[in-house]
Amino acid sequence: MKIDHKIVASFLLFLMTVVCIVSGVEFLDMRTPDVIYPSEDLTKIGKLSDYFEELKDGSGDTDIYFFEGKEPGATVLLLCGTHPNEASGFIAGVLATENVKIKAGRLLIIPQACLSGFSCTDPMEGYPQSYTLESKSGERKFRFGSRVSNPLDQWPDPLVYSHFPSGQKLSGFETRNLNRSYPGRPDGTFTEKVGYAIVQLIKKEKIDLAFDLHEAAPEIPIINAIIYHEKSEDIGLNAILNLEFRDLRYAPERSPENFHGLSHREWGDNTDVYPFLMETCNPIQGRLRGRTNSELILTGKSPQYLAAQETGKLRIEYDAEGVPLDKRVARHLQGFLEIVNSYNEFFPEKTILLEGLPEYEDLLENGLSNYLK
Amino acid sequence: MSFELVILISMLAVFAAGVFIFKLPAGVSLMLASITGAFVAGEGLPVRHLVEGSFGFLEAIMIIATAMIFMKVVEATGALSTISYYMIKSLHKRPTLLIIIITFFVMFPGMLTGLSSACILTTGALVVPALLAMGMPKKAVGSLIAMAAVFGEIAPPISIPVMIIGGGVDMPYIGFTGPLLIASFPPAIFTAIYYRKKYLKDFNIDEVLEKLENPVYDQYGFKLFLPIILVIALLLSEMLFPELMFHLGVPLIFMIGTLTAFGTGNKFKPVGMLQNSLRNAMPVMAILIGVGMFLQILTLTGVRGYLAVSALQLPEEVKYLAAVIMPFFGSAYAAASVIGVPLVFVFLGKNSIIVASALALMAAMGDLMPPPSLLCAYAGQMVGEPNHFKILKASALAIFVTGAVGILMIYFANDIGQFINLF
Repeated sequence: MKIDHKIVASFLLFLMTVVCIVSGVEFLDMRTPDVIYPSEDLTKIGKLSDYFEELKDGSGDTDIYFFEGKEPGATVLLLCGTHPNEASGFIAGVLATENVKIKAGRLLIIPQACLSGFSCTDPMEGYPQSYTLESKSGERKFRFGSRVSNPLDQWPDPLVYSHFPSGQKLSGFETRNLNRSYPGRPDGTFTEKVGYAIVQLIKKEKIDLAFDLHEAAPEIPIINAIIYHEKSEDIGLNAILNLEFRDLRYAPERSPENFHGLSHREWGDNTDVYPFLMETCNPIQGRLRGRTNSELILTGKSPQYLAAQETGKLRIEYDAEGVPLDKRVARHLQGFLEIVNSYNEFFPEKTILLEGLPEYEDLLENGLSNYLK
Repeated sequence: MSFELVILISMLAVFAAGVFIFKLPAGVSLMLASITGAFVAGEGLPVRHLVEGSFGFLEAIMIIATAMIFMKVVEATGALSTISYYMIKSLHKRPTLLIIIITFFVMFPGMLTGLSSACILTTGALVVPALLAMGMPKKAVGSLIAMAAVFGEIAPPISIPVMIIGGGVDMPYIGFTGPLLIASFPPAIFTAIYYRKKYLKDFNIDEVLEKLENPVYDQYGFKLFLPIILVIALLLSEMLFPELMFHLGVPLIFMIGTLTAFGTGNKFKPVGMLQNSLRNAMPVMAILIGVGMFLQILTLTGVRGYLAVSALQLPEEVKYLAAVIMPFFGSAYAAASVIGVPLVFVFLGKNSIIVASALALMAAMGDLMPPPSLLCAYAGQMVGEPNHFKILKASALAIFVTGAVGILMIYFANDIGQFINLF
């Protein structure tokens, strides 16, 4: 029996309409903003566009939470969510925003540095769009996004990304990677403009100490590391030593001088700040991971990493317990606190005094839910 | 048997049944295989994942569509046949040199863009009429341009598979020129000479020229080549002077080239030309959409990781086999990303730049392999060979030798590194 091609075409058109509606609803859901409940010590909520007008009301115009102590002191920037598929950085930022109390100095927190990347996921990665965490007020949903800016904000990618101003060449995909865009430029791509605004913020707010929180796949050698610019070396090594005393191991990694576009390199080269980048271990980013779902974000359990580790062919930091999100967040926060303490030791005349953030052991014992409002 | 293997087998079975039993297009079969994989894995019908995966190769799809239109237009103006005509006429007395130059010529767009498909769709299309007219079998011509496309993708200055591997291990794209020259040009020269000896018999130049369309250079002059020159110039400018050049993107460059072709040569009907071009490009575009879905489901269900770990689990004595498995991922970019990155760590202690270059070469051959067999499918379309598996079969020896070059590069990575440092 021969079916009229018009009937076939009509059926396919109908089918595609249904597919577009069903998937469209899911894609649009990623545009619902995440809700953060700042602590009582919040002074104000600024916007990234305050430092570069062109971003105003756009998808790069992320919130900046200001906490200012009564006593003067150092100004610290905690930048999270550079890569929205690295959940522990973002959640560490949320947790800090919702709990921090400040006695001296100023703390600026950007929980979603690459706000655009929170509105999509990466094709062919099979990522979930969100995950749910228990909190004091019940279940809270957080978006799990892309490593890079949404292509709807910056497209098409060039075949080769040429970093400004170094001219360093990277694959075209990296052109939307915020942590390859620094120092950025005002007339550059969307991502370069976001990078530029962050550098302007560091300069205008006279940031003394800055953090960029990340995660990496278990097979990448720089996980569980603190990466520092050469001028931050003393502060970083002192903090790593103090962390060792708590039985917490962080690999010290000096920022390569010829690898451009990264926060730990460009912030240090282009501003007066002491920059640090921290990495935790995140199996959902790994190429060897098993089934990809929101459970993997929360538990960090992927038996395939155990199998890969047993081959002995890769240096993989992973055990059967997995690397749960609360542990990864706790590492970030403890690393942050120790570096702040170390900074205070080096600059006693200009300290920052923070309270309210859980110590590593407390967070593991009480769980994230006790610190999320 | 692991559950991931069950999922993989079910997906491959549906793909094979679609292509070989129900004679469905490969792209449609890949989509059905993806849906099957999701069902078997207990994911139901993950519409969002299927749609998201289908966008994985959006830019490549746009390049294919616009490049196909451009090549059809320059074919219609007579520019293509004129270039073929004069290429043969000027080099026919030295057929070995002719084939080597043709191979380098086909590689050229890939060297600039890092895209293997660009080689087949542009310079590959230019040389096909000439090679066929010289009496080379269709499968051999298809195989030669497909292999040249692989080498073009790897050859410097731009090699995207290396950039993908480098991006995964935080290795800047510095110091790769020498290693990539070694990875690409020697096997390219071997391949050219092999095809010359095996497939290119003595030919009568007058008979060959008679078979080709008459050149139209005398009629239209230099302007005949303006669209091709413009496209090459824009591609080169974007690569070499990114700071000075406004970013147009490859699809727009091909469209600009197409628009400038009017009035440069023979007249053509634009609407019919567009329809014809897109009809030709459709099967390959459908394959890319299907491959995107297929890879998304492989990742979602954990099969991708299973394959990568299985490669790592090969015994120490045969760890090089993990590199040999790379082409069977069926896509250069997928192979580079999924297994190329971990393998750089497996071979720690050897010169990482040489290892990454060699792994990129192994990954690049993935563009030849099924299920998508992208380069073979393109080449089949160009030479008029409906069964693109014949092209893959004809490429067997060249693939083997190229693979051997890749493995030897890994094995002798430190020695090669020292040798390159001498310069």
